Amino acid sequence: MNLTTKRTLGAAAAVAIVLGSVVATSAQAAPKSVSIAWQNAITGRNAGLGADELLGAKTALYEYNKTNPAVKVTFVNEDDVSDAASASAVALSEAQNPAIVGVLGSCCSGATKASFPAWKSGRLPIVSMSATNADLTNPKLPQSNGFPFFHRVVPTDDLQSVALARFAVKGVSSPKVYYIDDQSTYGSGLRDSTAAAFKKNGTTVVGKDTIAAGTADYSSAASKVVASGANVLVYFGYYSDAAKLKKAVDLAGFKGTFASGDGTLDNGFITQAGAASANGTLITAPTVPFELAASAAILKDFTAATGEASPAGHAYVTEAYDATNTFLQCITEGHTTRAAIQNCLQTETFSSIKGSKFTFTRYGDVTGGAPVGGFVVKNGVLAYLGNA
Amino acid sequence: MINLRDKGAEIWEGWNKPTRTAFAAIVIFLAFLIPFAGTFPLTSFFNTPLVSFQAILVYPVGMYILMALGLNIVVGKSGLLDLGYVAFFAIGAYTAAIFGTKTSLNIWEILPLGMGFAMLAGVLLGLPTLRLRGDYLAIVTMGFGEIVRIAVLNTPADGGPNGIPGVPNPPALFGQSFDLLNQSHFFWLVLVMILAVVWMVRRLSVRRPGRAWEAIRQDEDVALLMGVPILRYKIWSFSIGAAVGGAAGVIFASQQMFVAPQTFTFNVSVLILSCVVFGGMGNIWGVILGATILAYIPERIRQIANARQLLFGLALIIMMNLRPEGLLPRKKREHLSAQERADLKATRAALKASKKSNSGKASK
Amino acid sequence: MNFSVVGTQFFPLLINGLALGFIYVLISVGYTMVYGVLRLINFANSEIFMLGTFATVIVTRNVFHFTIDTPTSHGGKLILILLCCLLASMAVSAIAAVFVEIIAYRRLRAKGANRLGSLISAIGTSIVLSEAVRLMTHSLPVSDPRVLAKFNLFTIHGVGLRIDQLLVIVFGAACFVAVDRFVTKTRVGKAIRAVSMSEENSKLMGINLNRVISITFLVGGLVTGAAAFMYETVYETTVFDVGFNMGIAAFTAAVLGGIGNLRGAFYGGIALGLAEEFFSAILGTQWKAITVFTVLVLVLLVRPNGLFGEAVQQSRV
Repeated sequence: MNLTTKRTLGAAAAVAIVLGSVVATSAQAAPKSVSIAWQNAITGRNAGLGADELLGAKTALYEYNKTNPAVKVTFVNEDDVSDAASASAVALSEAQNPAIVGVLGSCCSGATKASFPAWKSGRLPIVSMSATNADLTNPKLPQSNGFPFFHRVVPTDDLQSVALARFAVKGVSSPKVYYIDDQSTYGSGLRDSTAAAFKKNGTTVVGKDTIAAGTADYSSAASKVVASGANVLVYFGYYSDAAKLKKAVDLAGFKGTFASGDGTLDNGFITQAGAASANGTLITAPTVPFELAASAAILKDFTAATGEASPAGHAYVTEAYDATNTFLQCITEGHTTRAAIQNCLQTETFSSIKGSKFTFTRYGDVTGGAPVGGFVVKNGVLAYLGNA
Repeated sequence: MINLRDKGAEIWEGWNKPTRTAFAAIVIFLAFLIPFAGTFPLTSFFNTPLVSFQAILVYPVGMYILMALGLNIVVGKSGLLDLGYVAFFAIGAYTAAIFGTKTSLNIWEILPLGMGFAMLAGVLLGLPTLRLRGDYLAIVTMGFGEIVRIAVLNTPADGGPNGIPGVPNPPALFGQSFDLLNQSHFFWLVLVMILAVVWMVRRLSVRRPGRAWEAIRQDEDVALLMGVPILRYKIWSFSIGAAVGGAAGVIFASQQMFVAPQTFTFNVSVLILSCVVFGGMGNIWGVILGATILAYIPERIRQIANARQLLFGLALIIMMNLRPEGLLPRKKREHLSAQERADLKATRAALKASKKSNSGKASK
Repeated sequence: MNFSVVGTQFFPLLINGLALGFIYVLISVGYTMVYGVLRLINFANSEIFMLGTFATVIVTRNVFHFTIDTPTSHGGKLILILLCCLLASMAVSAIAAVFVEIIAYRRLRAKGANRLGSLISAIGTSIVLSEAVRLMTHSLPVSDPRVLAKFNLFTIHGVGLRIDQLLVIVFGAACFVAVDRFVTKTRVGKAIRAVSMSEENSKLMGINLNRVISITFLVGGLVTGAAAFMYETVYETTVFDVGFNMGIAAFTAAVLGGIGNLRGAFYGGIALGLAEEFFSAILGTQWKAITVFTVLVLVLLVRPNGLFGEAVQQSRV
């Protein structure tokens, strides 16, 4: 057998299959139904966040279906476990599935980054609701990020970090800051930009540490925080680690302010740290709570669509709702191919849940999106303080 | 339970050279057609839901086979328990990512470089630690795997937790371009590498290094007494295994176009070791079968997202209980001549006959 | 590098390190005992520990109806709750350990399989147990309500000794002494030691191998369960993969001391606990694992069988 011949034959067959699928996609002039991939953490450590976001997407889809639309929209669930290797595999299957015209996701910056090559190869338009890492839309790195197909309805960590650096030291006279990150893509990105913001503000930083997510023992880190004489502790990471850190610094005798970013915005933080420990924690997040942003009619749809009584305590529901609606608006206007939806996302104006208008920049960032909100834990519940 | 491995060997040894060549050629030819099995009607059962079948064939299936073959040299052939094999995979992947994005070298030029770095790491790790025995070696290699991962995570120059995006695809070969939409090309590339490793292992096994490894595996002290330079052959086994892992890493990085430290956890080392033992330590066909099954099954049942790891664990327990030596265990008797085989057959038959007559007596 | 922290925080780090060290000691006893009789790393020991932590949490939350915001308990009720948690953890871990032995090891041993076969079936058992708990808890971490008020017993120069840390240190030491005496003094303990010296000879001496191995797993499980209870008392949280990091650390401790050697596990555990606390304070927590493993490699280069190692071991893979 001549291997080279076989390989050429095989390649020809492969090309034929790919071409066939492309032709098939463009031939469907006005399809009756299209699919959107819901790529998110359905299992794994961040599954809680994925489940929260699905509530918002379900609500938007429910409202769309109520209007009895000409084009049916279905979600295809793609579980990326918020892990790089899984994400690139599922992203590739999305790119190769001709029925899928767009992607909603992913929740987390690391998985999103790993999916870019596959998404770009399939020229799939993407809208993310909570991937906030600044580099994802960095205009200086168009080769390695999702340009031009990636869009997000959430402001970047660059914006959040400025707010967090200000919010964490608000009302503290002569603040001395100590910060700790969880060594994730999200945590270390937010750490770098917040550190820069502290420097710009002239805030004194007395120490820093890096503790991998999932660590059990925060006691030596807590000893160091106390030894440094800091009166403000800022944590960049997700809520379950934040809860462990907060309890450890309490025991070590830390009396200052504890502040964190949007990864800690979850009721899980309070249920794991306990109200007594969690009270007084300051949190920033580029989101508006769904129950505050939504009208009574939308809240009613929320309950009908998800079966949940209240959206309180679920993170990024608002953003998931807005992200889903960008696709649905494009589809309503008759854009049912990847290219048409991509063009629609780049040119059209969309309206958010509160009725304000927003567009996407060339690099996929949102203009006129939600401001960075400030939250405080008060009496064991997350209270929204307005703009941070 | 019948010993498939011996059965296979018997049939194989009964063939003459042209028959063997023809058989090998057919098997290789069929292997090259595997990427189309997902869409071919008769075999479409193998298609994976939710993930691209052709991508699955490259990673995890192809990569696991390659790595399991590499680890098999260390664990199966020379009996050194290595729990940090992922380190070599990571070194290969990061070599590809750093040289691919920072220099103008292409992946074909980086491939030997990645293998070289992995080998170097293997030698550097092996020189001080290969004097250790058994489980002490296991924990040191495990520590090495973790050290590599954490060092990468802590170094801002290689992207730290962000990883390195934008690793280039390999340049076209024979007019075949390698990119995400042509996963079958990647598979053929991996297949060629697997065949090369199989060929290498088979050649080495029947030559001096293979015999030295076998001696070390069976009894280190006796091997030493017989004049086998133990440390040298252990380091050879370690670094050859490392080079295979490094090569897998380079191809992995250029296929995924992105590397991040969270891919290279201890779990990967454990999984690759499972592939080796599950399939049948020391036997390359068993290792290939084990790696194929363990890599493919979780992807095939991806629709039951939640419970698939649980089923994976159950499969490990049940299979190891049923076939403790693996699916296709290593050959027990080496190099039987035709005469010896005939004798063996006769003895077996006689044994069987006497057993039968014995049981016949008992029933009376 | 920050050496000044050692000066200002020496005693808190010392006490934290000792508390962590005693937890490691008890978990590594589980590893080292099984290793002694089977010459095998019991990969499922981390899951035995994990089940023990969940037992404590379930007893506190569901039997005594504590929530995260319930005030701490005291007096007789406190002792009752702690005792129940301890017994539950030990019982659950011990049952799990015996179960693991039957599922993962017994049949393979009877078939005379090679050691790596049992290693893989133990890994399989470990995956099944942690995945089952993951499915039941939806991958979410569970926090353990605080039962014991964590006050400082006394304070010198702003440095306190917390009651929970003292409890762990005292109780850990007591547990270890008990196991040590059990193994050296009792008849069953002698049988365990005989098996770990030579399986063949002890069989010839009329020792029931299966029974001895089951008892070894049982005792290892009891001690691991005690460690799980102590872990919950100090760190107050658990998750389905909590055993992974603790298991790796405890196994490292066992090897550091010389695996198969009970007292080696003691010194190894304490040394590792202290090393982790001080290294992470001086170098930054992200370098902790690297320094620990580097120390381990250096120790093994000088003493290839650990600090208090057994005699030469065969590499019987």
